[in-house]
Amino acid sequence: MFEIISTFVAAFLTLSIFSFLYKDNPFYKFAEALLVGVSMGYAIPLVYENVFLPYVYTPIFLSHKFIIIIPALLGSLYMFRFSKNLGWLARYPIVFGMAIVGMSVPMSIHSSVLVQMRSAMLPIDGINTALIFIGTVTILLYFFFSKAHKGIYGKVTNVGIWFMMIGFGASFGYTVMARVSLLIGRIQFLLGDWLGLVR
Amino acid sequence: MNKNVISFFNKIQNIDRRYIYIVVAFSIIIPLLIPFNSRTYVTKPTEDIYKKVDSFAGDENKAVLMSFTHDASTMPELFPMEVSVLRHCFERNIKVFTICWIPAAAPLVDYALNTAREDFDVQSGVDYCNFGYKPYVLRLPIMLGMGDDIAKAVETDSQGRKVENLEIMKNIKNYDDMNLVIDFAASGSALQWITYARARFGANIAAGVTAVMVADNYPYLQTGQLMGMFRGLKGAAEYEKLVDVFAAYESEDYPNGRPFSKEVIKETRVPITGDTVPYKYKKARIGMNAQSVAHIMIIFFILLGNIGYFITRKKEL
Repeated sequence: MFEIISTFVAAFLTLSIFSFLYKDNPFYKFAEALLVGVSMGYAIPLVYENVFLPYVYTPIFLSHKFIIIIPALLGSLYMFRFSKNLGWLARYPIVFGMAIVGMSVPMSIHSSVLVQMRSAMLPIDGINTALIFIGTVTILLYFFFSKAHKGIYGKVTNVGIWFMMIGFGASFGYTVMARVSLLIGRIQFLLGDWLGLVR
Repeated sequence: MNKNVISFFNKIQNIDRRYIYIVVAFSIIIPLLIPFNSRTYVTKPTEDIYKKVDSFAGDENKAVLMSFTHDASTMPELFPMEVSVLRHCFERNIKVFTICWIPAAAPLVDYALNTAREDFDVQSGVDYCNFGYKPYVLRLPIMLGMGDDIAKAVETDSQGRKVENLEIMKNIKNYDDMNLVIDFAASGSALQWITYARARFGANIAAGVTAVMVADNYPYLQTGQLMGMFRGLKGAAEYEKLVDVFAAYESEDYPNGRPFSKEVIKETRVPITGDTVPYKYKKARIGMNAQSVAHIMIIFFILLGNIGYFITRKKEL
């Protein structure tokens, strides 16, 4: 019984969201607001149970690891973001957050720069590697702004533009596919789980 | 140019977009209501993941980690992938762990596990283990910690049990054993696994991403930092087929699935119109039917719109 009711509620909310395709209306606004409320309502107790209890309450009050008080207090400084006078205190936990970003720099350089560069320097032994070579060089030249894009240099950078356009086209094509997939998912739900027409 | 043609394209240029929505909706509804057996071609990035997962079959010393970093909004693309991988693991007796990093992913992990396990005699803590929701801020220390000791890094599973005491942890210590991480995400979160788990510990990383994220992840696939990638609904459909053709295959010669073979996958067509495969295991393939029809419609509209644009512009000039 519960499953039937929940399926009906989900179908109603799906149709409410789809109703925006016709025009903005109260059903759409209701479903949108409900989504935000339910997401937050769901997240708060889950975070309390999975974050606050095991990482703050239990270590301090049950295991007596009092050193945890320091990061807990530091983290709670985020709350001062809401204060006009003491808002500056929120910068301290942000500083620690930035330190973690700094820690990731060497490993990010390895995976996002060095390994990628090494793979771009392979011998040209086929059409794919040739295309990668031409595309990489011409796009890099396009983003070299110390020289005017004129004459032969301009023609070379134009090739870079073509490569980028093809890249954007592929990316856009995938985006269309993703959006259609989401629509398919919802229609599969409406036709299958709700109406029982697809099994 | 014929006046009627110009008038037609003028009308098309100014058509109410809601008519296009209706046509696209029907191009999806009709193939879903009347499914047909289209051919699913399996591509190398999906094939590589299948082969890697399958290489752990029956091995007590190897495991797969499935990392969930998405919410329900991207379920249509990612959920069939997750169910397929779980089904593969359960079919071939492969240890599998799940973990999620955002609160909204926690019920999705349970849903995927419940969907796949109901057809198998598998037990939590023995054949699979859900590490549950871990806060995103702890992602980095957990990722790095699992390189040394998974049980210490994760501590408890979703049921609050100490991970170190679970039977599934026997022979599973770190990334040397849990040697494949598949990150299911609607973002570039696979890059974090590449940066920390692969660069530092040499773990094999694969990504299951929404189609939007495919282009962003391709450079890492090309350099081999991602050993494989599920690309949107198409990737899910490919894996569904691979599991049907190999892992779920049963015969006298192969009672527990058969080994991967390029020839077999080329020749085999798995019908999705009958009842031979349960709906939950062919959802992505049925979806791809609708996807194909919708793509044809969209291409038609793009062509029509462009022809109309050039004809009306020529007239204006």
